[in-house]
Amino acid sequence: MTHFSLADDAVDLVQLRASLHHPGSGGYCAFEGWVRNSNEGRAVDGLEYEAYAELAVAEGERIVEEAIARYGVNAAHCLHRTGNLAIGDLAVWIGVSCAHRDEAFRACRYIIDEIKHRLPIWKKEHYIDGDTAWVACTHAYREHEHDSRHGHAHAHVHEPIAPFVPDYSRQTRLREVGEAGQAKLAAARVLVIGAGGLGCPVLTYLAGAGVGTLGIVDGDRLDASNLHRQTLYDARDIGERKVDLAARRITALNPGVIVKTHAEPLHTGNVVEVFGQYDLVVECTDDMGSRYLSNDAAILTGIPLILASVYQYEGQLQVVTAKPGDPCLRCLWPQEPAAGVAGSCVESGVLGPVPGVLGCMQAIESLKLLLDLPRPTDHALLLINLLDGTSQRLPIDATQGCAMHDSCIEAARRGLEQAQSARDVELTFVRLDDAMAAGYALVDVREAAEIAAQPLHAHSQWLSSALIGERASELAAGPVLLICASGRRSGVAARMLRGQGMLNIHSLAGGVAALAPQCDRVAG
Amino acid sequence: MMTTVTLQYYAQLREQARTGSEQVSTSATSLHGLYEELRSRHGFTLPPDALKVAVNAQFSDWQQELRDGDTVVFIPPVAGG
Repeated sequence: MTHFSLADDAVDLVQLRASLHHPGSGGYCAFEGWVRNSNEGRAVDGLEYEAYAELAVAEGERIVEEAIARYGVNAAHCLHRTGNLAIGDLAVWIGVSCAHRDEAFRACRYIIDEIKHRLPIWKKEHYIDGDTAWVACTHAYREHEHDSRHGHAHAHVHEPIAPFVPDYSRQTRLREVGEAGQAKLAAARVLVIGAGGLGCPVLTYLAGAGVGTLGIVDGDRLDASNLHRQTLYDARDIGERKVDLAARRITALNPGVIVKTHAEPLHTGNVVEVFGQYDLVVECTDDMGSRYLSNDAAILTGIPLILASVYQYEGQLQVVTAKPGDPCLRCLWPQEPAAGVAGSCVESGVLGPVPGVLGCMQAIESLKLLLDLPRPTDHALLLINLLDGTSQRLPIDATQGCAMHDSCIEAARRGLEQAQSARDVELTFVRLDDAMAAGYALVDVREAAEIAAQPLHAHSQWLSSALIGERASELAAGPVLLICASGRRSGVAARMLRGQGMLNIHSLAGGVAALAPQCDRVAG
Repeated sequence: MMTTVTLQYYAQLREQARTGSEQVSTSATSLHGLYEELRSRHGFTLPPDALKVAVNAQFSDWQQELRDGDTVVFIPPVAGG
């Protein structure tokens, strides 16, 4: 069910209230905002609400979800009127049901304060003297900020804020951009995967340039170790979800941009569908698996992709146009490197401005593609070394890449299949009996001493993980479940065997340690 | 016969070689042979199939013959962001 709605006519409150009934709720709190007959000392005889509907609905939904998560709400809904309203009419309705009254009061208060502060809704007041004025509904005192650790000072703004009017004159003055280019940007939808060191400058510049819709994918919460390179965030944001923080900053930077957030990381099950909602994707994660997944989805959907990655003081940049005959990531490195082969910021360190530089370059490449600006006709991998200030542009010959075997499309299809199969590897069972009943042959891959100390109480084959590669032919032909102490060795072995085409091999997630006590293992 | 080439290293290779570039004289005749020689000297952990190699700013085949004065670059994929 959606938690936020806009209505351009009077609504049935009985029905809305009924929708919040929940057996676990012992407290229900509702707030109604009405049209008053005066504002700032002037007599008002009615008003008109105008909403930036898409953004208001997305942001409203987010606010109610935040309240639900923050206060443990069972059910909540917020409705905001638009259109013409008379004195006494209902302008806003909020209902919250919770286990206890205190959470209900607080969640209700949170929602109204955030709504007043964050929603792109303007009101035009009609005064008794015949005059009218647009007033932004953005002034609010946010009580809940006083009971959080943020402890902001009073954010009470009395002056009405005029609706924001963007000014793109500094870029439309460029002959290659102009008003026509600006219109292209306004119509463009760009997905930024990863709101970290690379993603921060990408999001900032694309929002500033007036890209109409920006999607943000990030499953992480802000950590103090991010702040040296992730310039969208503040110290007081630590622990918050990065998609929410980034969406708020981007909306504040350019309220005209529609921001869509995706807190679920992309995977084989959703990547093609998500890519399909955008015209261009910018890959900004620090994850090799994500880079290959994005490459494969770009090739299969035909949506261009801008890849960048950094290592300590240097970076790499590649534009994948996803046009037939143009090269892709797999034309350079056909297979995703094994875990630990590619360096990451966590293990190898990185100087903050390095992803800043590469992210800015991704933003430039994005604008060049969206605006169809002049660029080289060939394709290249760009290597940037910021220690000695050099760069190398290495042209990529597509005929020497995936085309040597079959094609980028075939490679992408195989890549997604492998990724899907890797996702299928891990299975969760609390009891080994359940696994056997489901038709799995059990294979214990632990060492003899471990098995002696903690035998499995179920029929199993023994094939140690060190030997399983060369003795794979001894495994049953049907579904096989590999078991080790923690799930790590069995996972590695299962992926290795699957890499050889044995797609029936699975690994017990969490290993013996995750099994229910008594039934399948003895106390160790 | 010895060939003299200039090497440039990126990412983990730069770290493991402890330099961004160096000039070497080698008896290796192919890029593959050259990398194996450097691998034992610097203790490179990356296998050649995880790398791209470029000669004189053009991506090259591992079997390509080395010529005096070549500039050879080994490029691992990196994932930081």
